Amino acid sequence: MATVHLQADHRRFTGGEKVLQVQGDTVGELIQELERRYPGLGPLLTDGASVAINGELIPNGIFEKVDESTEVYFVAPISGG
Amino acid sequence: MTVTENPRRYKYVGTRPVRHDGLDKVTGKARFAADLDMTGQLRGAFVRSPHAHARIVSIDTSRAEAMPGVKAVVTGDDFADLDPTHPEFDMAVNLMARGEALYNGHVVAAVAAVTASQAAAAAAAVEVEYEPLPAVLTIDEAIAVSAPIANPTNRTLFSGDTEPSNLASVNEFGRGDVEAGFEAADIILEREFRTVAVHQGYIEPHACVADCGQDGKATIWASSQGHFAVRSKTAAALGWSTDRIKVIPAEIGGGFGGKTTIYLEPVAVLLSQKAARPVKIVMSREEVLRATGPAPATKITAKIGATNDGEITTLQSTMYFDNGSTKGFSALTGAMSVASYKLPNLQLHAIGTVSNTARSAAYRAPSAPQAAFAVETLIDELAQRLNMDPIDIRLQNAVVEGDATAMGAPHPKIGFVETLEAIKNSEHYNSPVPEGAGRGVGTGFWFNIGEQSSATVNLNEDGTATVITGSPDIGGSRASMALMAAEELGLAVDRITPIIADTESVGFTDITEGSRATFATGMAVVNACRELIGQLKQRAATIKNVDVEQVEWVDGAAVIEGQDPLTIPEITAMAKNTGGPLTATASLNAAGAGPSFAVHVADVVVDEETGETTILRYTAAQDAGTAIHPSYVEGQIQGGSVQGIGWALNEEYIYDSDGVMENASFLDYRMPVASDLPMIDAIIVEVPNPSHPYGVRGVGETGIVPPIPTLANAIAAATGVRMTSLPMSPPRLLAAISGNAGS
Repeated sequence: MATVHLQADHRRFTGGEKVLQVQGDTVGELIQELERRYPGLGPLLTDGASVAINGELIPNGIFEKVDESTEVYFVAPISGG
Repeated sequence: MTVTENPRRYKYVGTRPVRHDGLDKVTGKARFAADLDMTGQLRGAFVRSPHAHARIVSIDTSRAEAMPGVKAVVTGDDFADLDPTHPEFDMAVNLMARGEALYNGHVVAAVAAVTASQAAAAAAAVEVEYEPLPAVLTIDEAIAVSAPIANPTNRTLFSGDTEPSNLASVNEFGRGDVEAGFEAADIILEREFRTVAVHQGYIEPHACVADCGQDGKATIWASSQGHFAVRSKTAAALGWSTDRIKVIPAEIGGGFGGKTTIYLEPVAVLLSQKAARPVKIVMSREEVLRATGPAPATKITAKIGATNDGEITTLQSTMYFDNGSTKGFSALTGAMSVASYKLPNLQLHAIGTVSNTARSAAYRAPSAPQAAFAVETLIDELAQRLNMDPIDIRLQNAVVEGDATAMGAPHPKIGFVETLEAIKNSEHYNSPVPEGAGRGVGTGFWFNIGEQSSATVNLNEDGTATVITGSPDIGGSRASMALMAAEELGLAVDRITPIIADTESVGFTDITEGSRATFATGMAVVNACRELIGQLKQRAATIKNVDVEQVEWVDGAAVIEGQDPLTIPEITAMAKNTGGPLTATASLNAAGAGPSFAVHVADVVVDEETGETTILRYTAAQDAGTAIHPSYVEGQIQGGSVQGIGWALNEEYIYDSDGVMENASFLDYRMPVASDLPMIDAIIVEVPNPSHPYGVRGVGETGIVPPIPTLANAIAAATGVRMTSLPMSPPRLLAAISGNAGS
């Protein structure tokens, strides 16, 4: 279980919900659960977003462990110049 | 100079040795892609669209193929037919048009011939029949009701829409209640800002040599910011597997984001395959400016509210970024970069548009300078209206660790306050403003990224070391890798040789972008060195016949109580007796890149008869976390500042009404040169990043963010005119001062 923060373009799947409590032990499991609850959202979180966990940007972090105290933000992909 | 006390001190890290590649580069010995020549090599040339938007009715290559010296011709039909949802679709279509030419200069065919002049003549002989289509050249044209579609394959990112659109992406994010924020404000300011496309301006034009063998495999020598990406993008464009392509990195003469994508390599490979000879392609400067990625033009409206005591209560902004001919994330990135202030109420609309202009590419802290122009100008005006010091109002609202970024996630440990204080305490800021001049302040933020890197460290038989990575050296990273290895191993930095290896000689490494090389690749080097120290201790234990637990590694030597230390040369000399060569490899996907903040101050005078701005003094402070090689950190700060100054004062893509760039040369595209500039005084602030073993934050990008608002604010102080469109060139500034336009 973790607290998941979604961006505006994700919220069309969740009926406007911004912050959700989601079951799972890893970021990948959170995405699976979100896809189960909101079909179509999962691919956006897997391919179209980076993940910040407790303030630290994690690239490709689907296997990162989470627990009840974890704050997970799905943010837009960031690269650079 | 360094102003913030970094509690950690090192023997090698933080020193300023001559870079390992320096002598070759200053004597002309370093080999860039255009310097490479191979036996039997052909020269490639492109056929480019003269139209901003046109359907390609037919291409007849027969006359060109019959010309002297011509060995191969390729068109879009020779390339892989990627699905538009493929992540490399836009890149592939950009390097060779399929069906439609999407901008003036879009490649529609290419030829290879024995000489460059023969190739150029044959390219001119390729007969292309076009059906011109309506072109979209600006943001306003793209979003107009009933606008023609600029690119029929574009679908709006994040929208779920399936119909063609001129919107590349649409995002909205924020927090709190902006209307309540405006109600709580004593002062509200709102302005619209415009910027035009500008180029990265790297000295070295794009160049490559490709040699396709009879085994169906190709070797590419290329200048790029990431040769593994050259491999994967070339493979995607050709529909090949990556094992068929080997990329050998040439030296790179500047990239600044513009060489994170490719334009030449798949074309050169196909020409080489057809001709069965190596093919070299070198872009002209005109081609670089006309057809490689500029930074996006923008239209940004921003509205800010604050109380009379300087507390910012709310910010609302709509940001349009023109991606050029294909979709992209530029608008989103620009909005996300609004991350420097505690904004309890925030609403950002980020809208990317598509037009029939060259496909935009990353440019140093992509999209952040345009966004900072808007936000930092308004904050400066707030300070002015509230009679506050421009740094004090920023200090009052500055984010610290735990405060929310634009996307909501909290900032990690950052040094914005320390960087503001570095300028506030600087001699420059505390000196009187010269008579007739104006002083301006601006700030900038960039995320920085981690991503994947690999490194191998070999200890040679005489105790010297070779550090092998896959990150092209675009800003002194060889030196920084060697310094971190020196610190870890306890070896003098001149006994370490840093090497950048090809795609078959080192583990996968992502592009040098996002100011990541010293951070992420540096961490891989550190990890490899630590693995190597474990091996050194084991070998020392074998030599001394003790348990390895009795061995400590101290200042480059294995120390065992009661015995003489064993140095690295002493251990490597006996390597064959203790288990063979000493080598270690590490790879990682780095998390925890530390964001970097910059604060600049400038004094300018404006000639009110000509509109010319002269910068009298310029000081730039930036948080580097820990400066591994301070000279190259200063170089990054100065380089970013200069590029931002050019963007602010002179640079612009000028298109005619048909979408043809009218100033595609360095004579007419006016970048600053040394005589235009004062010394850029660089102040390195060190607030170590706790996620890196030496505290590194990337430094390559943030420096370009503050100059535009810094100079706009200085010009406002000098003239009383608030410039809200770029460039602030003499004719535009003169018109604004005269009350005719621009402010």
